[in-house]
Amino acid sequence: MFMKAAAAILSKDFYSELRTRYALNSLIMFVVVTLSIILFSTAGEAVSPSLSAGILWIIIFFAAMSGLSRCFVSEEERGTAMTLQLWVKPSSVLLGKLAFNSLLIYVLNAMIIAAYLVTMPSFVVKAPLVFILTILIGSFGLASASTFIAAIISKANSKGTLYPVLSFPILLPLLVSVIDATRLSVEGGSLAEAMGDFKIMFSYSVVVTTVAIVLFDFVWRD
Amino acid sequence: MSSLYTFLNTNSLYVVLLVVLVIWVGIFAYLFRLDKKVTRLYEKSEREKENVK
Amino acid sequence: MKTWMKIVIGIWITAVIAIGLAMPIGYIPGLGAKARIIYFHVPMSWLSVLAFFMSMWYGIGYLRKKDMKYDIKSATAAELGFVFSILATITGSIWAKFSWGSFWNWDPRETSIFVLLLIYGAYFALRSALEIEERRASLSAVYSVVAFVTVPFFVFIMPRIMFSLHPGGGGSPAPILNSSGKMYMEASMRYVFYASLIGFTGLYLWLFQIRAKIGLLNYNSLLENE
Repeated sequence: MFMKAAAAILSKDFYSELRTRYALNSLIMFVVVTLSIILFSTAGEAVSPSLSAGILWIIIFFAAMSGLSRCFVSEEERGTAMTLQLWVKPSSVLLGKLAFNSLLIYVLNAMIIAAYLVTMPSFVVKAPLVFILTILIGSFGLASASTFIAAIISKANSKGTLYPVLSFPILLPLLVSVIDATRLSVEGGSLAEAMGDFKIMFSYSVVVTTVAIVLFDFVWRD
Repeated sequence: MSSLYTFLNTNSLYVVLLVVLVIWVGIFAYLFRLDKKVTRLYEKSEREKENVK
Repeated sequence: MKTWMKIVIGIWITAVIAIGLAMPIGYIPGLGAKARIIYFHVPMSWLSVLAFFMSMWYGIGYLRKKDMKYDIKSATAAELGFVFSILATITGSIWAKFSWGSFWNWDPRETSIFVLLLIYGAYFALRSALEIEERRASLSAVYSVVAFVTVPFFVFIMPRIMFSLHPGGGGSPAPILNSSGKMYMEASMRYVFYASLIGFTGLYLWLFQIRAKIGLLNYNSLLENE
């Protein structure tokens, strides 16, 4: 019952996204614009591999900040939040939204990374396994923290500017370790070297998701 | 008095110490007064709230 | 807080300032007389962390009891914490200029206080963007809990990413605190340091009470107008 409701929310969001392609279209344009600004400003410069790892996560962070708040904000804007509150348990809502946002950010990251690998010559992944694990765990952590912050800001005024302001300090521990692991993967570090970062990312994701589930009642029902 | 003056004249650290202490005592005295005033207002407001009930 | 306690706080801090500045501290490699900053700078950063904790504590209290008094206290703690973290940043920065040669160089300690400032900033931004009182109270309480849960990850990350020049970090001669938390301070200095921590904590609690009373006054007057 509980998982079924979450799956229903996921499929609802998924189909409404497929119908309008609102989030994905604007996010693709956002990535194209950001990437071209970075390419223009670094044209002809030798970007060091470790710097390119940082730039990749700047693109991902801001793409997430412009796209992931939709899931709760759109419910408030269309006035459908009340209906959800009446019919679905809060934790199912959170899980459904989290699943949708994770899916969105995985698709988005796949595109960002493909585009980035093609256009950024100094970004060559020497340790693919480390890189893939970083993206898999890091994206989920990013999705879990930003989904919860999205729920908070959907009730506030000036949602757009508030979202990165609230998310950044929360996401900073994750971002720092993710950038470090990406740098290791570009420099050809071993799995054992990146293990510390993986542990931090994984425990961060677990802690944030747990806290989000516990506290979501207070955000959702007020 | 003149011996204190010569002492401070040769040990400049103590001049700084004196300045800092004067500033602290001033701030403390002001804070103390402020606290008294706020507490009086607060108690009055709480009493009025009780009377309304 | 009783009146005599306030007077004790006043005399206590006066004594800490006098002893802290005047007591000879012996030779400390790499720091010299600048080591006296520990009496005044470290209490500021301790208070900014304590206030962060108290803000979360009263936030949880609000979520459990739904009493606006808890929210007022939570906001009060955050406000004082913001003030003290700014003071810790400025004093640390002045000290860093004369010990490391630059006001700001993203040392792990500097990064952590920066994150703390960001969180306080975000907390007040969130509060000002929420107009309904109950909603403001519960959402800002939730945010402070999330922030409190994620920030400790820095303790594990920092040693991996950067190395610290801060006294007590790995990269510096560790005259005062080394990375394993052992004290290398002379006993006399240590007593003054602890006394200073106690004194400033008392001052913080007193300021907290005054500010909380003003917040409650404001809340009462809003109730009367309704």
